[in-house]
Amino acid sequence: MLRRVREFSGFALPGLFLYGVLVLVPIVWTVVLGFTDRNRFAAETNWVGLQQFQRLLEDDQFWLVLKNTFVVTAIVVVVPNVVGLALALLLNRETRLYRLLRAVFFTPVILSGIVVSVIWQSVLRPDGVLNAVLVDAGVTDAPRWLSDPGIALFSISGILCWQLLGFCVVVYLAGLNAVPQELYEAAIVDGAGWWRRFGSITWPMIASSVTINTVMLLISGFKVYEHILVLTNGGPGRNTTASIAFDVIEKGVRGDRIGFAAAEATIMLGIIVLLSAVVLRLLQRREVNL
Amino acid sequence: MAPRWRGAVAAATLLTVALAGCTSGGKSDSSSAGGPVELTMLTFETPNLPASLWDSAIARVSQKVPGVTIKKLVTPNVDRTTYAKQLASSGQLPDIMMAVNPQGFAEGGQLADFSQDELKDFASPESGAINGKIYQLPTNAQPQSLLYYNKADFAKAGITAAPKTWTDFLAVCAKLKAAGITPIAVGGGGQDTFASMYTWVGTVGTDVYLTDPKFSQEIADGSKTFADPQFVKAADKVAQLAKLGYLDKQGTSRSYADHEKAFRAGSAAMYPMGSWFASSADNDKPKFDVGVFAWPSDDGKAVVPNLTGGGLSVSAKAENVDLAKKFALEWTKDKETSDAFTKADGTFNTIAGYQPPADMGPLFKETLALYNQAVKDGTVTPALSIEQGDNGLPADLTVPIQQIAVELLNGKSDAQAVVSKLDKEYAGLK
Repeated sequence: MLRRVREFSGFALPGLFLYGVLVLVPIVWTVVLGFTDRNRFAAETNWVGLQQFQRLLEDDQFWLVLKNTFVVTAIVVVVPNVVGLALALLLNRETRLYRLLRAVFFTPVILSGIVVSVIWQSVLRPDGVLNAVLVDAGVTDAPRWLSDPGIALFSISGILCWQLLGFCVVVYLAGLNAVPQELYEAAIVDGAGWWRRFGSITWPMIASSVTINTVMLLISGFKVYEHILVLTNGGPGRNTTASIAFDVIEKGVRGDRIGFAAAEATIMLGIIVLLSAVVLRLLQRREVNL
Repeated sequence: MAPRWRGAVAAATLLTVALAGCTSGGKSDSSSAGGPVELTMLTFETPNLPASLWDSAIARVSQKVPGVTIKKLVTPNVDRTTYAKQLASSGQLPDIMMAVNPQGFAEGGQLADFSQDELKDFASPESGAINGKIYQLPTNAQPQSLLYYNKADFAKAGITAAPKTWTDFLAVCAKLKAAGITPIAVGGGGQDTFASMYTWVGTVGTDVYLTDPKFSQEIADGSKTFADPQFVKAADKVAQLAKLGYLDKQGTSRSYADHEKAFRAGSAAMYPMGSWFASSADNDKPKFDVGVFAWPSDDGKAVVPNLTGGGLSVSAKAENVDLAKKFALEWTKDKETSDAFTKADGTFNTIAGYQPPADMGPLFKETLALYNQAVKDGTVTPALSIEQGDNGLPADLTVPIQQIAVELLNGKSDAQAVVSKLDKEYAGLK
């Protein structure tokens, strides 16, 4: 076996090389830049140690975008997970109609964030479809979904939930289909009701699906960018909907403060890695292998 | 033992991928000895400035500059400055760039400056200077905020003349509101946060730059802060407009394109906007007659916040800098090109002796007359967050200012809170 691994390991080298060049090297380089005062147009770049990190931690706007990011992530992790599981339970039947419904729910997942945002921008406009329905229903002061700073962040979170819901449904359907039917038959024979069967059989058996969905939603929520760019550009007002990824792009790509943005990106990476590791560890303990 | 050829194949594959992924970076040398020089030119296409306009202008000007071939590049969106930065990061800064903010590029030594002799035909050769040098031809004067208004709405509210003072302006707003008409349209939704600025640009023009045109330089050298009483007063004027319900609050949800559509559909009586709207309204007339007046100061001066610049810049690393500058200058002096851009975008070309086409629309002529009068009266001012160079604010402050402007428009922040935020943002850039 080991000999065969050695024989074919050479063929993995190109892929590893590409991964290294396109993923690992930029990550390491970004971390290094975070310890410098790199500015796009400055002639010199100097090593400044932890100064950029210190400036970030002292910056109110950094804590604001971090808070925004956590709010969006929390909503995006919970809502599509819960609703996705409920929909998967409902759609877990093999008829043409249910197969069609699965395709309908999955469609937003394959659309780009930009396309989804443009669609929802037209829906959430002051004179858009949603407010037109509300006005017809008798609402006199329709909400300003994207320009009210108290609502805009939740509007963006809702759109992200809508887009990611289909992914959760598909993963949960795969998990549900992997549960042996004999377990349900035995439980029915023993007189277990629906809720008891869900709690004792379904929930433990789909633990791996919960893990996959939770981690993917965590990462998707944390790196939200294009929805914010199109829908609110970080506003309304100063960074009321900006995420940490958005702020990194603002400062390091549209702006010129590359070292500062790199430090922020490094913090973002660290948080995602830590959270993913903790969540994986906690959730994988629940996974059942028959 | 594994056949040696497998290792060789793996190594060869690796090498091939590595070589395929490597590029030389920067631009390739396009000219052979004695042949034409290929220069890249960064352009941007909009409904007003379509590809055909650029192509014909390039062809026409190229005939006046022997030895040059222009390769046109087009920005993927209207944010051409960010696109130019991305290109510069990979060593591909275009040789010639249209209306790209030169701040940063100039200080980093990436742009060639124009000499006084090269600028002798420009009416404002000092406009947009960075450390005293000109890196972007000061081709166009373009008022950045004037008050275009719906004449029918004014008539309905019983308003017979444009307001002369700020007090008159508030009275006009009150009459419009009493007649059930939203007085002022505002924008700034979606990606188009810049559209939130035009009201604030107006009040800062009247209350700050009119008497202190060097205010931005004083911010830069630390002799003033945004807490300066005149700046606070200008911000407070916008806050008061929001508090009195004179602003269309729904406007901050609208993209720039929807903002104009909404005004054309009658969302509000007044539309603070730059002179490019004059061309738009002349080319596609709204269902109502449109008039225009300048921002009224407290003592009755008609103020025009303006940007003179917007021309071509030349890369200091162009294959032939002199030829690139010659092309840029010929482009600016070419009457047919200037006429095309004037018709499309409502700019006022500042080359000495230039006259806009006689068949320009009535609103453009009215706007130009306002601007010329303001030049005579000395009431043309810089435009907050839009002015570039030595007399402008740092480019990194532009987005924060625009976002904070939305807080003023929404009534979420008062003047003191806003200036405090601005001072904090500015301190964070140092």
